[in-house]
Amino acid sequence: MADLSNSADPTATAELAETPPGRMSWSRLSEHPSLLIGGGIVILMILIAIFAPLLAPHDPYAQDITNRAVPPVWFEAGSWEHVLGTDQLGRDYLSRLIYGARVSLLIGFAAVSIASVIGTTLGLLGGYFGGRVDMVVTFLTTIRLSLPIILVALAVVAVFGGSITIVVVVLGLLKWDRFAVVVRATSSQVSRMEYVQSAKAAGASNFYILTREVLPNLTPQLIVIATIEIASAILMEAALSFLGLGVQPPTPSWGLMISEAKSYMFFSFWLISIPGIALATLVFAINLAGDGLRDLVSPDGRG
Amino acid sequence: MPIYLAKRFGLAVLVAFCVSILAFALLRLQGNAAGALAGEGASAEDLAIIVETYGLDRPLIVQYASWLGDVLRGDFGTSYFFKSPVSDLIFDKIGNTVILAIMSLTIALAISIPLGVLAAVFSGSWIDRLCSLVSLLGQALPSFFLALCLVMLFAIKWRMLPASGADSWRHFILPAATLGYYITPPFMRLVRAGMIDALSNDYVRTARAKGLPAHRVILKHALRNALVPVVGLVTVQLGLLIGGSVVIESIFALDGLGYLAYQAIGYRDFPVLQAVVLLLSVVYVVLTLLSDIVNAWLDPRLRVS
Amino acid sequence: MEPLLQVRDLKVDFKLRTNTLHAVRGMSFEVREGETLCIVGESGCGKSMTSLALMDLLPRAATRSVGAMRFGEVDLTDRRAVRRVRGNEMAMIFQEPMTALNPAFPIGDQMTEAYIHHTGATGSAARARAVEMLTEVGIASPEKRLGQYPHQLSGGLRQRVMIAMALMTSPKLLIADEPTTALDVTIQAQILRLLRDLQHRLGIAIVFITHDLGLVSRIADRIVVMYAGARVEEGSAAEIFGSPRHPYTQALIDCIPQPGKSERGAPLGTIPGVVPSLVGDVRGCAFRSRCPVAQPVCADAVPLRAEGGHLWACIHGAKKDETERAPA
Repeated sequence: MADLSNSADPTATAELAETPPGRMSWSRLSEHPSLLIGGGIVILMILIAIFAPLLAPHDPYAQDITNRAVPPVWFEAGSWEHVLGTDQLGRDYLSRLIYGARVSLLIGFAAVSIASVIGTTLGLLGGYFGGRVDMVVTFLTTIRLSLPIILVALAVVAVFGGSITIVVVVLGLLKWDRFAVVVRATSSQVSRMEYVQSAKAAGASNFYILTREVLPNLTPQLIVIATIEIASAILMEAALSFLGLGVQPPTPSWGLMISEAKSYMFFSFWLISIPGIALATLVFAINLAGDGLRDLVSPDGRG
Repeated sequence: MPIYLAKRFGLAVLVAFCVSILAFALLRLQGNAAGALAGEGASAEDLAIIVETYGLDRPLIVQYASWLGDVLRGDFGTSYFFKSPVSDLIFDKIGNTVILAIMSLTIALAISIPLGVLAAVFSGSWIDRLCSLVSLLGQALPSFFLALCLVMLFAIKWRMLPASGADSWRHFILPAATLGYYITPPFMRLVRAGMIDALSNDYVRTARAKGLPAHRVILKHALRNALVPVVGLVTVQLGLLIGGSVVIESIFALDGLGYLAYQAIGYRDFPVLQAVVLLLSVVYVVLTLLSDIVNAWLDPRLRVS
Repeated sequence: MEPLLQVRDLKVDFKLRTNTLHAVRGMSFEVREGETLCIVGESGCGKSMTSLALMDLLPRAATRSVGAMRFGEVDLTDRRAVRRVRGNEMAMIFQEPMTALNPAFPIGDQMTEAYIHHTGATGSAARARAVEMLTEVGIASPEKRLGQYPHQLSGGLRQRVMIAMALMTSPKLLIADEPTTALDVTIQAQILRLLRDLQHRLGIAIVFITHDLGLVSRIADRIVVMYAGARVEEGSAAEIFGSPRHPYTQALIDCIPQPGKSERGAPLGTIPGVVPSLVGDVRGCAFRSRCPVAQPVCADAVPLRAEGGHLWACIHGAKKDETERAPA
């Protein structure tokens, strides 16, 4: 028992004793409303993206010159035919928005998958082997951090041309730094633990130890970083597409939709605010879920 | 301390060197530099002249060495599009970018330090919750969307501020507000965490036991220690701001480095793009080096030993 | 004579999610001018919480209730009044000299700021006072020390600085919360000697909080023994060491290694059993689970017995207990 009289907050110890550690249940989940709300919205968005063809009322690519820039239903000139109106080419905005969720989520998840593999591998190597390997990993990370990420992404896209694949690859190759930093720190701690040491002593191969003993202990942190990075990748895709150097028309991407609506902004600001709000909601929900996950993983708020 | 600084400096130089290789390689990746230079529909003779003039037929390593040599002498080559020395272009534009970065930082710090302190002092209260909500929202709003909203309100609807250009300080307000709001959340989180940590320290209890008024305890004893990591973040964010302002500068047509880079991408003006990427990376490296030095100086424990 | 500090029925609670932790359960004691009162008890017995409660320095999670708490004329339950005397007439030093000083500011700044705040003195007057106080606590070349940072001083030196800092405003009462626990034995002895010496010269009262009964014998005028958040025995040093009445006090005294008497290499004495949880209602004598002479009635309310100024909270305490043990 810690010295009650000297610890800053004796309730902390007492509260810890009240809840058995490591138990994951609905009751514990309900103590993290941010995870519930954020996660709920994210899952909803994912479902929308998956079932986009079933949900979209119109073909997102079908242009209708006679029905251009019809305002959403809550405006006087709006109609239920196009709930969120139509864009400057007369395409149904709700359908484009629904398909846009696909692009955002696809790019976010795919880019972060690449980034997490790169970052985790580097971090594991550096943290586990230490010494020179670690120096190289740290050095690579330093270089990566010193590159202005948006600008490099823009330049690469400018060289290779914009497409979903290029955006995914570029973001995947650029966004691994946080994975590397956190995994390196944690795995160097974990690899000093007794059970890893004993696995080593028992003659287990490095690969076995890394994948069976070290990596599983990193999973909670990895999930937390992944959520943060997915949110950030989605924002970056939007920014690239907004600048015309990401996803190319006519593919519906929320960033591109805002970009295309820029010149109509004075008369039809909803063309900008609808995808803008969609983007903000998705990113907000992911970050909220990430915050909740972090609290769940490290209740003391560290890490 | 001198050894530490020397090591740190050596690392910075090495990083800058590697970045220069990347910057060089980046723009050779597309292979056909001459084609890009000549534009579409150039004749074979034109291409040959360009290859000759720019020495594009030499081995890559030679090209790199000569490019690096030029760069070290401050010669970034000639812009394909603007037809003027790249260094002149950069020299013209960098001022605007620096002003924008400093204004944004000032705005971010002016918001995040008081709010972070409040959130820490009243941690768990509605103030704290509100602050974390605002910071989550800040992180979720795409910067270009926020920029367009501000333009819509302040420039178009109320006609209070100009929407684009860089002619007067008023042109900087909207872009700086956008960028400032965008980088506020990380500062706020750091100040809050630092303050919560500092406030739980024994020296804060000592300060209270001495009978100092609460504001002195919080603003002097706790804040002074909580701000040490903020200095590090300031330099890092300054680096990111200078690089990350591409989007914002383009929206507001604010004539800085970011806008220059954006234009260079549009015109496939590779010497300019190369120079800006390299410059921003080096600025970042220098700033992180500075932040380490400043941190060492701020922490008396490191200063002496 | 009116006591300098008077505390009656002090309680400190921590609200937990489902229950309440009673860290201090009705402490009462007095301190007279110029005397040293030692509050002794194991870690977690609530002695530090008691001292923090006096200064209104409890952690935010704590709630305090008190029958009466007076310092001279000042009502210590009035938070504004506390702010006037805190760090002024009533000063405090802490266990960890390593962390109790702010690493970011030089010694001189930290010593003078509260003095300037309380007295309105000028900076140079305050520095002169700081030099005087550093000399008082036996620090050589005090002017030089003023410009130094805490990390440049050793632990013993830092605790001297803490004491000098506490004495800046000529307090009438110094609360010392385990001031020597973090120091090694020789430094510990020096600091104790310094405190005793200062007390004689300046006539300050000291509340000395410690878990180390061995230390207490060297400085205490009177002693309060705490167990599980409550006072179990109080008396003069002679009474406590000469004729301890509470079984807990007796057990504590038995644990002090005595030169010449304790066998070399023999294990240090410990009291078997564990301190009961203070979460929820605590009934009867908290020590009964570890007490060698516990009776079924110990589960009921404990009587407070008195013999002059010697108080103890136990059903036992008749003279026959005394004869059973060898005189200390």
